Amino acid sequence: MDLLLSRRAFLIGCSAAASPLVTPVTFAQAKGENRLVVIVLRGAMDGLDVVRPTGDLGFAALRPTLAAGQGPALNDFFTLHPAAEPLMPLWRAGELGFAHATATPYRQGRSHFVGQDALENGTDALDGTPTQAHDGWLNRALGLIPGAHAETGVSVGQQRLLLLEGATPTDHWFPVDESPLSPQGLQLIAALNEADPLFAAPFAQAQRLADTADGMTGGVPRGKGQYRQLGTYVAQRLLGPSRIASFSFGGWDMHKDQARAMAGQLGGLSDAIVALKEGLGAAWGTTLVLGITEFGRTARENGTGGTDHGTGGLAILAGGALRGGQVFGKWPGLGESALFESRDLMPTTDVRSYPAWALQALFGVSGADLETRVFPGLDLDRDPGLVL
Amino acid sequence: MDAPSLIEDIRFGFGPLAGRAPGPGYDADRLMAQLTAPDAPADQWATPGLAERWPLIEAYTADRKAKVHKTNPSAGTLRLAEIEAQDLQVWLSRPAVALCGFRERLANLWANRITVAIQGAALRPLVPPFRDEAIRPHITGRLADMLKATLWHPAMQLFLTQVQSVGPNSRQGKKRNKGLNENLAREFLELHTMGRGYTQTDVTELAKLLAGMKHDAEGPRVEDARQEPGEKLILGQTYQTGAAEIDRLVEDVAHRPETAEATAFYLARHFIADEPPADLVATMARAYLDHDTALTPVYRVMLTHPAARASERAKLRSPHEYVVASLRLGGLTGTEAGLRGFRKDGMKLEDRMKKLGQPIYEAPSPEGWPETAAEWLSPPMVSARLDWAIDMGRAIGTNGADPRELADFALGDLASPMLRRAVAGAEQKWEGVTVLLSSPDFSRR
Repeated sequence: MDLLLSRRAFLIGCSAAASPLVTPVTFAQAKGENRLVVIVLRGAMDGLDVVRPTGDLGFAALRPTLAAGQGPALNDFFTLHPAAEPLMPLWRAGELGFAHATATPYRQGRSHFVGQDALENGTDALDGTPTQAHDGWLNRALGLIPGAHAETGVSVGQQRLLLLEGATPTDHWFPVDESPLSPQGLQLIAALNEADPLFAAPFAQAQRLADTADGMTGGVPRGKGQYRQLGTYVAQRLLGPSRIASFSFGGWDMHKDQARAMAGQLGGLSDAIVALKEGLGAAWGTTLVLGITEFGRTARENGTGGTDHGTGGLAILAGGALRGGQVFGKWPGLGESALFESRDLMPTTDVRSYPAWALQALFGVSGADLETRVFPGLDLDRDPGLVL
Repeated sequence: MDAPSLIEDIRFGFGPLAGRAPGPGYDADRLMAQLTAPDAPADQWATPGLAERWPLIEAYTADRKAKVHKTNPSAGTLRLAEIEAQDLQVWLSRPAVALCGFRERLANLWANRITVAIQGAALRPLVPPFRDEAIRPHITGRLADMLKATLWHPAMQLFLTQVQSVGPNSRQGKKRNKGLNENLAREFLELHTMGRGYTQTDVTELAKLLAGMKHDAEGPRVEDARQEPGEKLILGQTYQTGAAEIDRLVEDVAHRPETAEATAFYLARHFIADEPPADLVATMARAYLDHDTALTPVYRVMLTHPAARASERAKLRSPHEYVVASLRLGGLTGTEAGLRGFRKDGMKLEDRMKKLGQPIYEAPSPEGWPETAAEWLSPPMVSARLDWAIDMGRAIGTNGADPRELADFALGDLASPMLRRAVAGAEQKWEGVTVLLSSPDFSRR
């Protein structure tokens, strides 16, 4: 790649892809305006705390301290955690929903690290063993979307994201500093990096980060407003050539003092979702946001005001494309015999179904491909009408 | 002590140290000698231990309670802040000047295998003593002893939220309706030892055995009121209650074949290859079990394997190893101020390490920092490496250092012809140094 030309090349590519009038591929795609955001909620989010089954008679006894605090009622059975209140306008507008009692097929171990790999790889192995290629399901799905290019899928953040890793080229974005190198110095460095199989791809992408740095507001997201800023960054990517974006949102592992920790986490997550909506403007109407986590947590509060690793959990759905205002899934109950291994919320829906239905509705990925190539072993079942 | 050769220093240490001529060839014994040799330059960076910190921590806790820790801090709080600032420097400066790089690498490896990370003010003064007092004394000892020291350390107790775990049938459990927290029990089996071969029941039973553990200024103990009465069946063995039983459990788990294999794999993956040779891992695991969990024989197996001396460098330096290697090349400690390329008041390494993806003592999870190349090669991290190379290029290149000589000193015969040409082809000396430091050659080990 000629580095001196890279910026120009990018700008041309960018404007072309953004205009349906000059790119036949985009124009031909009826669904070219649809967007998907996948948030990987790392650490195992406690679904029973975020969307509380206050209508279940067993709930209060399982959560002697954690059930405290009156949040807004979602319906006559579920109540939202008070700290997620900023999302209520979305709920009322039908732009927010949840999927309860859901989990990946991983059942053996309750390990964060195996669980997250399984979540991002999309495997159906009970022990979490990844599929042969050890790639991400979103990467495999991108390879099946007609007209997708290297910038259609983008991961936003400092770290790599297994979800988007694999054979299909994808983009990576994060704000970086300007470089004072001479063009010749940069060329020497580029040549060395391009010759190394490990460095070639990330270096080329790092150069593009530098090329696109100007015109962006702010820097590395940090501190109080960081989730709002992250949401804004993702929205900016999706208003450019990208249609599918993903990022990590960690900090959900709450073995103690959960009441305090959860309030902070949900505040940040609400910030990110609201910033996405604001940043996307009209494009929010054709966007689906999906927040998924590696597993849920114990139905019973533990001895230290927290919860331990569990099984059935919660997925968060948002966006103008969502048929929201409802809690999807089949409620298993909280009685001793209804719990998985007498301790965790019983999963009644494969969490992989939700992205599968979304990929089908938004990007036309076929059911057969979804059940074999994207999510091996998935039984797609009946679409609950996730997308409008 | 004899200086290590380039390949010894690059693969098993932090790279060559400015002003010290490398030794010849490859010699496993020379590396093994580093485990016990004196290292005065490194030792200068020691910070106070736990015993000295406890009264300061108490002073800080009292100040915080009275809400004066910022407005009117006591002498103890001020001293603690001073120590914590030194702690942050030590992580980079100690290996930057060390003569025994292999020992420093091992200290970091074990502190990563058995991770505690700073999360909040309470952990900040505890994490460095964990490294110095629970890890370092045992890197040439038995893993079983290291596991005991780390399990009982107050930093671990706090980090994996063991401090409040209560046996459900203990006095406190019955009275206050409190219960277990299985965090430490799970990560001990999953991350510190076996990795596989145990069940949820083993985790829960182990959590019962560990309930009541406490370690504060009064020392380590099991609190009677919190300990779970009765037998616990863990991995087919029966345990009663109390500290001695916890230590017996640790011994038993340390001697499991799963622990041997997981430990050998971790070591070999760190030093040799992301996918280490199976025969090497198996031989290392056997040495571990044959020697009552002693680690030195395991290191020796690794160092004498043909893969240890191969000139192809399959591993990638972590950001920490990368920054330290470049400091050593420039003869810097990281605490210098007024260097060209950096801000006038210092190198601001705390911020730098964040940008590079490895904030000091803040591993992202109990699993610790990644150990494989791909995890350290996101585009933003590659970009941050280039930024570091630019600033370091200015810092050490504008003082007249010839980038060609520096490349020769840093890599010797390991430098590719392409790298030599690129370094020599830079317009200015500092850019030549930047070309060297940003090259994949320099990031590999």
